[in-house]
Amino acid sequence: MTPERERRASELVARYPESQSALIPFLQFCQAHDGYVTQQAIHDAAEIAGITPGEAESIASFYTLLFKEPVGKHKIQVCRTLSCMLRGADELQQHVRQRLGLGNGESSPDGRFYYEEVECLAACDRAPCLQHNLEFHYDVTPEDFDRLLDEWRASDPGVSMPAE
Amino acid sequence: MSKQPARRNLTLTIDGRQVTVPEGTLVVEAARQAGFNIPVYCYHPKMDPAGLCRICLVEIEKIPKLQIACNTQVADGMVVHTMSPRVAEGRRGVLEFLLLNHPLDCPICDKGGECDLQDFTMSYGPGASRLTEPKLHKPKAVDLGPTIVLDEERCILCRRCTRFDDEIAQERNLVVNERGHHSLIATADGSDYRSYFSGNTTEICPVGALTSKAYRFRSRPWDLSHADSVCTQCSVGCNYRIDSRFGRIMRTFTRENTAVDDGWICDRGRYTFNYLYEPSRLRQPLIKRDGEHQPATFDEAIAIAAERLRTAARKGSVGIIGGGRLSDEEAFALQQFAREVLGTDNIDHRVGLQKYASPSRHEARLEDIDDASLIVIFGAITPEQAPILDLRLRRAVARRHAKLLFVGPYKPDLPVPCRHVEYTPGAIAELMEQLADVVHHGREERGEGFVAEIAQELADAERIIAVHNGRDPGAIEALEKLMDRLHDYDHPVGILVVGATGNARGAEAAGCVPNLGPGYAELGRSGMTAAEMFAAAADGKLDALYIAGANPALTFPDGELVRRALQRVPFLAVADQVLTETAAYADVVLAAASFAEKSGHVTNLEGRQQAFAQAIEPPVHVGSDLRILAAFAQTLGKEWAIPDDADALFAQLRHVQRAARPRSPKDPLPRPRVDETSLSSADQVDATHQRFTIIPVPRLYAGGGASAHDPGIAAMRPAPFATFHPDDAARIGVVHGDMVRLQGRGGSIDVEVHVGPQAPTGVALVLADMPQAPVNRLLDASGFGSATAIKVRSVAAAPPETIEVTA
Amino acid sequence: MARFEPVLLRGIGQLDLTDIENYKQLGGFAALEKALREMTPEAVQGEVSASNLRGRGGAGFPTGKKWSFLPKDGRPRYLVCNCDEAEPGTFKDHLLLEQAPFQIIEGLLISAYAINAAQIFMYIRGEFLEGFRIFKRALDAARLQGYLGKRILGTDFSMDIVVHRGAGAYICGEETAMLESIEGKRGEPRLKPPFPANAGLYGMPTVVNNVETVSCVPHIIERGAQWFASIGPEKCPGPKIISVSGHVVRPGNYEVPMGIPARELIEEYAGGLFPGRRLKAIQPGGGSSAAIFEEDLDTGIDFDSLAAKRTMLGSGGFVVMDDTTCMVRASQTLTRFFEHESCGQCTPCREGGQWVARMVSRLEAGEGNESDLRVLSTINDTITGTNLCPLGDSIMPFLSSVLRRFPEEFADHVREAGCPFRVGVAASMAS
Ligand SMILES: Cc1cc2nc3c(=O)[nH]c(=O)nc-3n(C[C@H](O)[C@H](O)[C@H](O)COP(=O)(O)O)c2cc1C
Ligand code: SF4
Ligand code: FES
Repeated sequence: MTPERERRASELVARYPESQSALIPFLQFCQAHDGYVTQQAIHDAAEIAGITPGEAESIASFYTLLFKEPVGKHKIQVCRTLSCMLRGADELQQHVRQRLGLGNGESSPDGRFYYEEVECLAACDRAPCLQHNLEFHYDVTPEDFDRLLDEWRASDPGVSMPAE
Repeated sequence: MSKQPARRNLTLTIDGRQVTVPEGTLVVEAARQAGFNIPVYCYHPKMDPAGLCRICLVEIEKIPKLQIACNTQVADGMVVHTMSPRVAEGRRGVLEFLLLNHPLDCPICDKGGECDLQDFTMSYGPGASRLTEPKLHKPKAVDLGPTIVLDEERCILCRRCTRFDDEIAQERNLVVNERGHHSLIATADGSDYRSYFSGNTTEICPVGALTSKAYRFRSRPWDLSHADSVCTQCSVGCNYRIDSRFGRIMRTFTRENTAVDDGWICDRGRYTFNYLYEPSRLRQPLIKRDGEHQPATFDEAIAIAAERLRTAARKGSVGIIGGGRLSDEEAFALQQFAREVLGTDNIDHRVGLQKYASPSRHEARLEDIDDASLIVIFGAITPEQAPILDLRLRRAVARRHAKLLFVGPYKPDLPVPCRHVEYTPGAIAELMEQLADVVHHGREERGEGFVAEIAQELADAERIIAVHNGRDPGAIEALEKLMDRLHDYDHPVGILVVGATGNARGAEAAGCVPNLGPGYAELGRSGMTAAEMFAAAADGKLDALYIAGANPALTFPDGELVRRALQRVPFLAVADQVLTETAAYADVVLAAASFAEKSGHVTNLEGRQQAFAQAIEPPVHVGSDLRILAAFAQTLGKEWAIPDDADALFAQLRHVQRAARPRSPKDPLPRPRVDETSLSSADQVDATHQRFTIIPVPRLYAGGGASAHDPGIAAMRPAPFATFHPDDAARIGVVHGDMVRLQGRGGSIDVEVHVGPQAPTGVALVLADMPQAPVNRLLDASGFGSATAIKVRSVAAAPPETIEVTA
Repeated sequence: MARFEPVLLRGIGQLDLTDIENYKQLGGFAALEKALREMTPEAVQGEVSASNLRGRGGAGFPTGKKWSFLPKDGRPRYLVCNCDEAEPGTFKDHLLLEQAPFQIIEGLLISAYAINAAQIFMYIRGEFLEGFRIFKRALDAARLQGYLGKRILGTDFSMDIVVHRGAGAYICGEETAMLESIEGKRGEPRLKPPFPANAGLYGMPTVVNNVETVSCVPHIIERGAQWFASIGPEKCPGPKIISVSGHVVRPGNYEVPMGIPARELIEEYAGGLFPGRRLKAIQPGGGSSAAIFEEDLDTGIDFDSLAAKRTMLGSGGFVVMDDTTCMVRASQTLTRFFEHESCGQCTPCREGGQWVARMVSRLEAGEGNESDLRVLSTINDTITGTNLCPLGDSIMPFLSSVLRRFPEEFADHVREAGCPFRVGVAASMAS
């Protein structure tokens, strides 16, 4: 474990009555740097939590915001549930897929983009909506998306799934 | 024993039948008592209710929704319906869901015929599937590890297996990954499901998802004949059933005896039977001619051996070794053979470090562990030497908040918290005496520091169980004195002794020791101990040795001495199932039957005598030890001493054993005699650390007996290793995975280096009982040894190339 | 008709209430002062009980009563705030988190005082990263001004709030799954009993309350239980934020008195339907609720009135669907949602949910058959009511209600081997 991670781990462990509570925040912290939950992170987290690596992996695999393998740095998550569907999510999804050339759950070969259709993001009044690396964008039209995509293309999100 | 508050009895009605059960009983159990079987998948009586599968739905009057019987406690006056139309509808629904994506590959499924999914579908299921689209697919034939194969498509996600690994084994390596209908049973990425208890999951899996490699595609359950047997791989004596087909063992199955095994068996017990069908199994006697073993008939072998033994006996120069791997009847027959037929007291079953196989007082039962508040393990490596006892310890610690104190030279790998007290021979007896003193002088004078802390834990404990390995007589006496003290002060205490062999206790009680007859009868005289017999033989002072079911060449601590003895003794006869290292020296080898091939009794470590039935016939030229001994008696004209009839012998043995239970502190059981060489002393530890002190460590799958020849077990045997403390490893310049040659007093062995903090500095923990690297080459008769580590260059090179001596 | 004077949403949109000074300017923290200086914990609890406040997280359980279940046995107690909002169509807690964090903090502190909690845990949905940051900043500001930490406002009351971020799982909104998740485990609901009041977080007595529920508490303390109880129906009074989305002119969060008619909400608050459209169905209480229809527009929006209509207020996610909406497509998004979010522990939810979602998807794709229709119309009985937690019971209500109401629409998908609405959906998107 890097000294930074050790520091983080002890901070997290101190925060809770039991150390296993630090597991998920610690994995989020590691993912923010590594881009996904590595086996090393699983083993470190297991040690911190006092559980087996098998258990740590089982826990991590339950949560959709923890990625078990490398995914594109720009994570684009478009809502697909009822309220967004009623206000144009289908069209937006189609557009995004086509612009990115990606299907649901796919990453671009250059590792820059990841596309996913996700469940209700609690922004139904400003539908359709999406998240880019957990940042909300509301009332997104296809044109809005094109604009955003240009911005993203020009940028490099060092941290793709921020922890804090 | 801690008292549970008395529970009220409640009366309820189930399907019109009244049943009275204690408060807190689950409806599913109450129904069982009333004679109704409510179907269950996830529920298992040994584990916490999980409420996952929902097949156990019942209708309870006054509650609108159907309830699950597995997590609903009874109430007074409750009216339960387990067969109403609504219940039937609910069950049908659950079964329809479970079958939706089930592959329905029953014709090739090992569980076919004993599968709860088949059975419940037959009784309660829908007639036809309404699924009109292709089934979802999941991985099939997933290799989970050395013992188990998993079919994810057949899995109904009841989680009995993962809950077993968590709640019962406390190992938590088998888990559920992903979620929803993507859920899969799994281990951590890339790791095997390795557990000494893995086989149990195949039994409790209600469907054919988990199957054992040993039994896959081998038989259909309805073709099997069953025999109720007892496992003799260790001294716990788990009850199991041997299932055979056309006289060949196909598998073994638990046969719950709550008091002994709680319904589980370990993998060594479960899977050790295929050695019977290996070429290495002795199928007929061997006689050494011109230095070569030649096949012989049973009668030939008996005739030659009987004659040689008689001649030696006439000179009073014969010794008998064994008993710990025989049945009670056979152990009794063996001492009859020594004392009545050959007229000698030179008999001993102790061919390892163990001296005592029972406590002299304060005897405990395995079940007492369940209520213990403090468990003191004294040298015994319970996970390796008594795995099912260890499960009880784990439960007591993890789920009943017992404290665990491990007194030993190193700390074994335990999945539960445990406090380690370092054991230095000699010093430990002193510590026990100090503790007894402090306990005696009461709380005020306990003072501070380590001794006081432990004393405080002892004083606070409501019930104390000590588990020891019967090895260090001085320390054991001190421990027993401490227990006396605690007992005086009204602490319930109990002692369990883990046997060195499956029937060590039975052999001791049957009189396979030089100074005690059957039933611990004090003879007032003594023959030689095994160690003394080996010393005599090595000195050319013993004319013949008969060894029954023992492999001292591997297990006796002073390997150098025993090998010399076996070579030098003019006549050696060995009875065993396989050609062991010891049998290889023999002039006459008798082919002995396995436990599956005979019937009788065995006594487990708590003194419980259990009957086992014969499952299969032995090969023609193979005789049980009883038959062999009876044939000797007959040949030597003393057939009255050993009738070839287990029942008759058992009756005699029972008669003499009546008074043989451990008694009070004032009147303890007499002890088997211990010879001088066995007494360990503190000054043997080499404080300069110039050399390494050798501590042999047991592993479940190590050993030189039958299991070593079992292909299934062999696949799981660890390679010979020595574990060094990281500081030592750094000092001598070795890393994990290197090969080193350990040079000791009686030779050298080549082992792989492991590095780990469990090894104290200056100590090498060396895997015991491995024929290809016998640690006893390095040890003396007290079990003490030291060695220099010799580093070798290449891991693969064999024999290792010596380049550098460091120590 | 006069608009209801907002209570929980007061100032939002006019003031930046993430600034503690603005919050104080609106009277913020006065209730905390009052509770700590003038009231005993019992008195605070009494006031909340008397207000008849019912939980805003979905189940509508009386808050005072929930608090009173805690055993008095000296073990530490925990208060957990549920900000995992992921119920389809619900977005009020998201708003409160990002725009009224101090109201949540104040409500939590007063609630913790009332139940004598040892510690507060704030569980924030993993996707709400911005809200999480805002809340953390708010905590820092509150701490700086002595509203948080040791000896709050100079009294003997000390309290801290641990913020825990979710990691993507709707089920963690279920209270026992949330406790598992905080404990660092898989977010799987626990088998009950025991209930959290007895064995909750880390096995200790625990109360879980929704963000909106705790946000009500300062106002009850400040203005009194009588004031609160006088708003709306006697058995479930108070102001309530309804999240309106779907086919209305002005979707948004609207704070209304409990019990206002659905019609008023749509027309007076949300700007009505689009011109020329007719109402087809409303999901009044989030994705888990059964639909109501045109004839139900006079039903009061509150726990009891909606329960009488065999649906529920739930979390207050009010989704309006007009006549351009395909009911099969709508059902598809929701059944797929539950399939995706099922934890997988129990059979009916895991297997039944997956089956239903596949059948509905096939119908929508034009690959359905008669048998699917038969199964869908009977499967409710075996899926609903047989599960370990309410998620499994949420799969069928909407689907069953629209299938009952529009059977021909489902049949058309089979007969025409496709969705007759595809054009309609596109039209709705264009608007
Ligand atoms: C599947 C499921 C999801 C839930 N999600 C939420 C949620 O996101 N937020 C919430 O406050 N309550 C949610 N609940 C309700 C909680 O279990 C719990 O009843 C609530 O937090 C209690 O708070 P209250 O009494 O203040 O309403 C959910 C319940 C279920 C069964
Ligand atoms: S493998 Fe067997 S025991 Fe394990 S969850 Fe699946 S069905 Fe149950
Ligand atoms: S046996 Fe009761 S839910 Fe599985």
